[in-house]
Amino acid sequence: MAEVKTQEFVAASGAAMQNPTLRRALRQVGTGFNGARLEAIDEVGPQLWEEWREEAQRIKRHTIDHLDYYLEMLHDNVTKAGGQVHFARDAAEANGIVAELARTRQVKLATKSKSMVSEELDLNQALEGIGVEVFETDLGEYIIQLAGETPSHLVAPALHKTKEQVAELFNDQLGVPLTDDIEEMARTAREALRQKFLQADLGISGANFLVAETGTLVIITNEGNGRLCTSAPRLHIGITGMEKVIPSVQDLALFLRLLPRSATGQRLTSYVSMVSGPRRSDDEDGPEEFHLVLVDNGRSKLLADPDLRESLYCIRCGACLNICPVYQKIGGHAYGWVYPGPIGAIVSPTLVGLKQAKDLPQASSLCGACREACPVKINIPRMLLHLRHKLAESQDPEEKSTSAMDSLAARGYTWLMNNPSALTALGKLGRAAQQPLAGKGKIEKLPLPLVSQWTKTRDLPLLPQRTFREIWAQELGQAGSSIASPTSRDTESRDAGSGG
Amino acid sequence: MATPLPSPLGTPKDEFLAQVRRSLGRPAAAESTEPAEPYYRLTEDAAELERQGAAAQQRREQEQTGLVDRLAETAQLRGWQVFRAPNPEEAIGYVALLATAQGVTQAVRSAQEVFTGLPLDAALENLGIPTITVAQDETHSRAGLREQIIRSGLGLTGADYAVAETGSVVVMPRRGLSRLVSLVPPIHVALVRPQDVVASLDDLFLLRRLEYHRNGGDMGSYLNFITGPSRTADIEQQLVVGVHGPKEVHLILLG
Repeated sequence: MAEVKTQEFVAASGAAMQNPTLRRALRQVGTGFNGARLEAIDEVGPQLWEEWREEAQRIKRHTIDHLDYYLEMLHDNVTKAGGQVHFARDAAEANGIVAELARTRQVKLATKSKSMVSEELDLNQALEGIGVEVFETDLGEYIIQLAGETPSHLVAPALHKTKEQVAELFNDQLGVPLTDDIEEMARTAREALRQKFLQADLGISGANFLVAETGTLVIITNEGNGRLCTSAPRLHIGITGMEKVIPSVQDLALFLRLLPRSATGQRLTSYVSMVSGPRRSDDEDGPEEFHLVLVDNGRSKLLADPDLRESLYCIRCGACLNICPVYQKIGGHAYGWVYPGPIGAIVSPTLVGLKQAKDLPQASSLCGACREACPVKINIPRMLLHLRHKLAESQDPEEKSTSAMDSLAARGYTWLMNNPSALTALGKLGRAAQQPLAGKGKIEKLPLPLVSQWTKTRDLPLLPQRTFREIWAQELGQAGSSIASPTSRDTESRDAGSGG
Repeated sequence: MATPLPSPLGTPKDEFLAQVRRSLGRPAAAESTEPAEPYYRLTEDAAELERQGAAAQQRREQEQTGLVDRLAETAQLRGWQVFRAPNPEEAIGYVALLATAQGVTQAVRSAQEVFTGLPLDAALENLGIPTITVAQDETHSRAGLREQIIRSGLGLTGADYAVAETGSVVVMPRRGLSRLVSLVPPIHVALVRPQDVVASLDDLFLLRRLEYHRNGGDMGSYLNFITGPSRTADIEQQLVVGVHGPKEVHLILLG
């Protein structure tokens, strides 16, 4: 399985914010794909878009709630189409299956189209371990493979790199001249990989969807590398998470409308490829064998938790990353594992262990933008809160995310809110105490030892001269029944006051 | 063809599905039973599916002109260079001009119905551009075919369907239709007839599903939607056209 660095989140996100090159690479995250997504939705119309999202969630919920049934149907239909299905409990088993298939079929060279699950499993390393040469062929994946890095985004794996960095990498690794022309860089990749496609014995792909009814693997791509990987080699292995199944081939109409629009704002990607078994005997070309590896690797734990099951509806479009104010600032690597951003903050703690990833559910302002962006309406903020709750209540000291001081503060707050007279007294005390700090109309630094942490990165507003209770008691409460009267002279100012 | 493995690798299916059932809170040992509230799409009987398919087919025929116009419009937006050929001569003229202008020295085409009666090969031959036809016979090995495709500067195909909603050409590789002709040469030309066009993704998948069930459960090995040229935005989210697939794609609307 891919190396887990989620426990370093606090340091890594701090370092990411200080990295000027990364900041430059990330500057378009909120506008690029996200801007195109909003345009595409606008074209559809918000009402129809909402209907699509609800329908997509209904389909996903139904399928995940009956996952055993649809996996069985998928298995039967892949088999009927001449393919073979293998089930893998965990990363080691999944890698073992692919390695065994590669070994028994004398595979020397493999080409891969983009697959996040293979990143999760660290499949390349497993294959290289038995002497198979593996080439990533998606441009972004190719870049990070050359750089020896991991993807930082679900859709655009090399999002963290500037074009200058890519030019230097190609110059260093491939010996081509430096250039600032992105088209030239794409041509370099095309030329470097063309022969590999044609020489490869094995093509590996992920899957965006698996159709139970017809036993079909669907991949949605733009470059053409996915088509080459599934057409040119004599062996094709599709490897993916077990949650990718959908019931009917007719469901694809909806998901093909939702996924590209949400990912890159495209109305449809350049290519959608549907693989149903190996080539038939009179086909001109195509792989002689088709194998599908279905991976659990912790997903059954998400399935078993009614509060987290919804995370399995995810279609990996990356919209929640692009819109997330935290992801926009720190990029994907700081999250410390394969799946970054809001959805990653939910699935990683379950897949790698809550203890190791206990900081991830905190990496959110709970602004709710991710939920609004999600094409299957996954309630991400609710699950982040659920995980925070779980961590706060945990009896395991290593898992517990809250310090004794946090608990004390929470208890103190509860007590205060239950004791109005104490709250009033504390308010008075605060207003008196803030006088010497009130210079700029805000408090930039609290001099108290523990709470001073809070003002290190934030300003605190001043307490107002009068509390709401005081205003109510002195003015509004007295106005009594006249409050509803529009003829009252001071209705306007009263309304303005109560709106605050 | 290599024979499949005698038994699957990894965790046995029943054991794997038992874990899934446990996670769903159901008895692990139970059979996977049909959902109590079955999914609406998988419940219709064959007659109902036929009825829906016939309705889609009727829509397709009635709205043909409108659908072709819509396809032309959408395809252009998705990056196809669209040419409407009122007669076969103009279609051939377009291809000949394109091949000459792009310095193509060899072309390859699939053996599809759309090319029957279209003297395209002869026209290109006259210009000194040999055209290879994908047609497997005794003298034509698979490896040889691949070499020919790699050497070709232009790939020509028909369309099994074209989708007006998305501006897509759908090809279903099979005998006479290689997976690589629309993919490996740097220029792809697709010839579309009015009767190939369907309105929407909904109609397309309905018709495919109908065919699947009519064929006793065979989808064919492969189906590809092609919607414009090969492209990427993997470096700084900037669009570049032409990565591993064709940089230039032309849609010729016949008739």
